Amino acid sequence: MNQDFSPDRAACGFARDIPLVLDAGEAAALRAGARVGISAAHESAHLHVAGAAPYVDDVPEAAGTLHAALAPSPVASGVLRSIDRAALLAMPGVVAVLTAADIPGANDCGPVIHDDPILADGTLRYRGQPVALIVATARDLARLAAARIGPCLDIEPATPVLTAREAYARGDALLPPASLIRESAPGALTAALAAAPHRLGGQFSLGGQEQFYLEGQIAYALPTENQGLRVLCSTQHPSEMQHLIAHALGWRSHQVLVECRRMGGGFGGKESQSGLFACCASIAAARLGRPVKLRLDRDDDFIMTGRRHPFEYDYDVAFDDDGRITGIEATLIANGGHSADLSGAVMTRALCHLDNAYYLPEVAINGFVARTNTQSNTAFRGFGGPQGALLIEIVMDRIARHLGRDPLAVRRANFYGVASRNVTPYRQTIEDNVVAALVDELVAQADYQGRVAAVAAFNRSNSVLKKGIALTPVKFGISFNVPHLNQAGALVHVYADGSVLVNHGGTEMGQGLNTKVAQVVADALGIGFAAVRCSATDTSKIANTSATAASTGADLNGMAARDAAMTIRNRLADFAAARHGGEAADVQFANDVVRVSGIALAFATLVRQAYEARVQLWSDGFYATPKVHWNPKGLHGRPFYYFAYGAAASEVIIDTLTGEVSLLRADILHDAGRSLNPAIDIGQIEGGFIQSMGWLTTEELVWHATDGRLLTHAPSTYKIPTANDCPAALHTRLFDNPNTEPTIHRSKAVGEPPMLLAFSVLLAIRDAIAATGGPGADPDLRAPATPEAVLDAIASLDAIRP
Amino acid sequence: MSGIETMGSEATGPRMRVTLTVNGADHDIQLDPRTTLLDALREHLGLTGTKVGCNHGTCGACTVHIDGRRQLSCLMLAAAAAGSAITTIEGLAGADGAPHPMQAAFVAHDALQCGYCTPGQIMSAVACVAEGHAGSDDEIREYMSGNLCRCAAYPNIVAAVREVAGSTMAEAA
Amino acid sequence: MKAAAFDYIRPETLGAAITLLSKHGPDAKLIAGGQSLLPALNLRLSAPGLLIDIGRLAELRDITLADRTLHIGAGCTHAHVMNHPIVQRHAPLIARALTEVAHPAIRARGTFGGSLANADPAAELPACALALDAVMHAQGPEGPRRIPAAHFFTSLFETALAPDEVLTGVDIPIQGDTQWGFAELARRTGDYAMVGLAAVARPGTIRLGWFSVGQTAILAHRAAAILTEGGPLEAACTALADDLPAHDDPQASAAMRLHLARVLLRRVVGAWGER
Repeated sequence: MNQDFSPDRAACGFARDIPLVLDAGEAAALRAGARVGISAAHESAHLHVAGAAPYVDDVPEAAGTLHAALAPSPVASGVLRSIDRAALLAMPGVVAVLTAADIPGANDCGPVIHDDPILADGTLRYRGQPVALIVATARDLARLAAARIGPCLDIEPATPVLTAREAYARGDALLPPASLIRESAPGALTAALAAAPHRLGGQFSLGGQEQFYLEGQIAYALPTENQGLRVLCSTQHPSEMQHLIAHALGWRSHQVLVECRRMGGGFGGKESQSGLFACCASIAAARLGRPVKLRLDRDDDFIMTGRRHPFEYDYDVAFDDDGRITGIEATLIANGGHSADLSGAVMTRALCHLDNAYYLPEVAINGFVARTNTQSNTAFRGFGGPQGALLIEIVMDRIARHLGRDPLAVRRANFYGVASRNVTPYRQTIEDNVVAALVDELVAQADYQGRVAAVAAFNRSNSVLKKGIALTPVKFGISFNVPHLNQAGALVHVYADGSVLVNHGGTEMGQGLNTKVAQVVADALGIGFAAVRCSATDTSKIANTSATAASTGADLNGMAARDAAMTIRNRLADFAAARHGGEAADVQFANDVVRVSGIALAFATLVRQAYEARVQLWSDGFYATPKVHWNPKGLHGRPFYYFAYGAAASEVIIDTLTGEVSLLRADILHDAGRSLNPAIDIGQIEGGFIQSMGWLTTEELVWHATDGRLLTHAPSTYKIPTANDCPAALHTRLFDNPNTEPTIHRSKAVGEPPMLLAFSVLLAIRDAIAATGGPGADPDLRAPATPEAVLDAIASLDAIRP
Repeated sequence: MSGIETMGSEATGPRMRVTLTVNGADHDIQLDPRTTLLDALREHLGLTGTKVGCNHGTCGACTVHIDGRRQLSCLMLAAAAAGSAITTIEGLAGADGAPHPMQAAFVAHDALQCGYCTPGQIMSAVACVAEGHAGSDDEIREYMSGNLCRCAAYPNIVAAVREVAGSTMAEAA
Repeated sequence: MKAAAFDYIRPETLGAAITLLSKHGPDAKLIAGGQSLLPALNLRLSAPGLLIDIGRLAELRDITLADRTLHIGAGCTHAHVMNHPIVQRHAPLIARALTEVAHPAIRARGTFGGSLANADPAAELPACALALDAVMHAQGPEGPRRIPAAHFFTSLFETALAPDEVLTGVDIPIQGDTQWGFAELARRTGDYAMVGLAAVARPGTIRLGWFSVGQTAILAHRAAAILTEGGPLEAACTALADDLPAHDDPQASAAMRLHLARVLLRRVVGAWGER
């Protein structure tokens, strides 16, 4: 099936020595000149495997570099009366001990609402909150001093609020509560609930998720001339870092340059929350006039930064005999932690994804972001979308069990229609719905019906081990909910020797953004991959960038880069026609060759000629997503340019005595539009699926019930999936579905939507647990489905058994 | 005591001189005796391919080979590594610079995303094959489970190890 | 204030190590594989003044068989022990338990004696030593001393070793044809267990060594007595409530842990009945 293909240098990918492994179709397309739709290896793959791809901590340190550490609050709540720095300053190697009073500008790193102090300013809000910034000649000396902060603090402790339910009961919200309501007429939801033949209500509890980027948070600030700083930072949002640093120093943005070549994982955790560390390194560097590096210990990273919001749900749903929902009311309570951070936007996305793939005729969804004395929760791949959509899948499963119907049949009865039943609760009409066809294809691919029967047969003859199976769909909206963020810039340089450098505002965190952007540029100019190089994201190259987030990286930056590349290509075509004859529109660029008026020139030759003829060979490019608009007060509009779809079928086996769970097989069909790079997209899909499975099964966060300590603060206690947790059978395919909107080469975003695929794992576990009960058994299973949660859910069935 | 010399000093704190044999070359360095091999490689020798993940021995990002066996450089004092042959990701390629078959397989199978765990994965994978623990996908998953990949590129990592193990077995046959 | 003085010495002989240990007192700490000590150092939880590296002492690396007793040197790595034919033949419980100890990279460096002397209540080997009625060999300035496993694990991370004593090896009565079993439940492969059992049935004595159940690995005496006397398995399961301390942690509540312990006991001892 696969064949090695390296007809020439152009086809060798970004790693010149390692030929691409392509299937026959892609190999033919590559030969014909295509550079998108090709499974080119990651542009840094050859560097990564050699240990030659530097991250921030790998950059050689400048002479005189100092190292910083953050001293954590020992209490979750209280008043910080004073800090006695003398003892710490006397410790070996300690150069400075800085506190809130030493911050020259705003003591704030809140990305939206300015409620997030860089260093504690009198009020202690969570256990682990930075209270002082220690700067020393060596990292270990800084950390040693930070660990000794306790006796230096004069604190009046208070009783912390540690759970979202407690804060909800007290009405303590970080943001005004939001409600997404859509009724056919006033009072229609109440009427639908009252009149329905069937009604279910309940609560559900869903845990948070630590990003656990393998490369921890890090920032390295180096003073530059004329009151400036160059800051190397592992961040998804260099522009935000630039702004926060400038505010903290009381400077203007042009004094700060932030640079990020790559991250060792981001997953949302380096969108806003790299800000604390960027600011601290910068404050110290500006004050001391020396380079300062701040690299967090893994444990400090856990106790100082926030993660995916845990959610609590109350719901009330009405449905007919077919399981079709006639009305639903739900309240979503997110644990926001101590500050707003991005919680408002996270909740909006949760509200806008509760529908997932289902039409909800009468609907009211309320969102409450609870203030608690814990780390401030933030972005994590999916950004509230998964937390919203999971609830409706739990509801579908409960409806099916209540009616004694196949859960898939209930799901299909509720799918959005194409011509009718196609308006979302936020009043966007869905124009690209393919969910029914996609699910049909997966049902056939996975032999879903045959395996449902096989699972039932297995369960009839086994009492300790039980199997479960579930198939869940995905519909995920693509674009930032806030319209103005949907913009991007790029810069393409064609050098006189024909080599090309591309820079754009997106950041590389492993998702293959640079690879895709380089492919787009190579495709536009008709040149080989090896001729294109990506450089570090840099606020001095592209200004006012948006975070690389909301899955929009390739959509936005790919279009901006194509805009820049096409500008240059058009100039070259004009020049070629003028020099060699023919029409500019007929000039062809492919495989490093330019064909004009019956002659063929090497791309590099034409470039040299154009340079000598004083043609501008570099260009900027810009893109703003069309059509999107949003009413933030009424929560309606068209927040999403388009939707990405998918579905997964998972089969699990559980040990009903130990609560152990094993995923036996998963089949995935996912819509990446017309894929820019099928291999990278499949990697994103499988990686997202496994990462989300971790969230819903093994990754449990535990805080001490009274003192607010995070007890699961290391990889030994916080359990992300290992290779051993992956199913023996994982079948992933792309659903052939060019985007109906003119996105970059009709592709679709693929970063976040796969997070919803793993719902099928949780629901398969629910199915297996239900098999321990009688007909209609409907277990009360919380997420993550740890062994203890599974045993509790089995016990919930035992309790109602006569 | 081969390769180790203690030299306490009031001014600089405790220092000792150690000779580390890394990727076939001897390096004389002076360090605090508490320095882990991981920090010595990265900060004294500039070999930054070996990554800092957790510093607890629970993620595998810092995996290196000590006398041919995979070990965690964050759980070893540099001083204790003196006298052993240390191989890091930078030392895996052939003398002609050609990538090790495992390195090529990781590229060919897209067995990485962010790349941060990749050096550790590859060092572990090379050892996994050499130990004879790559006989099946199940066995590969089991014997690679000490190396975390948060991007969860595991299916492709397993495919890369399987390919190299297969060709290794074919050579042996 | 200056940094704590810190030194590292790799003595050539056991005698030299003991001399250093007695000379420097509690300020000195032994290191072999370092797989438990290094995390503590990295977290600054431990700040010894002197590390005495006994990881390369050849005299601690023997595995021998004599008089139906297997002797495993304290300096043997886990990987060496679990793959050793004599261990696999005469102490299959040890070979089996070691497959569950962490991951290959740690087993390649961590030592048999180091794990026992560290006395982590969640570690597999102390429970195995209890179940096998092993005898610890200690060596100090006053000479050698033998300590039965049942008296060795005194409290959390504490043993009966004197500050100037070195654990040199372990004697294990060979298993012969005795019934045995090992099982643990962990949330993930290679992780510390939520609960684990090492069980050995010698003629006239059944020993049930448990780990991850409290402050130390422990023997379940009441449950074992019931089984030894031929009592019903369910009675032994009931008795575990008295044998095992109630131990809550983020991995498992005390009730869950007791439930799982009973499941393991039924599975391990139940399998004996089937033979």
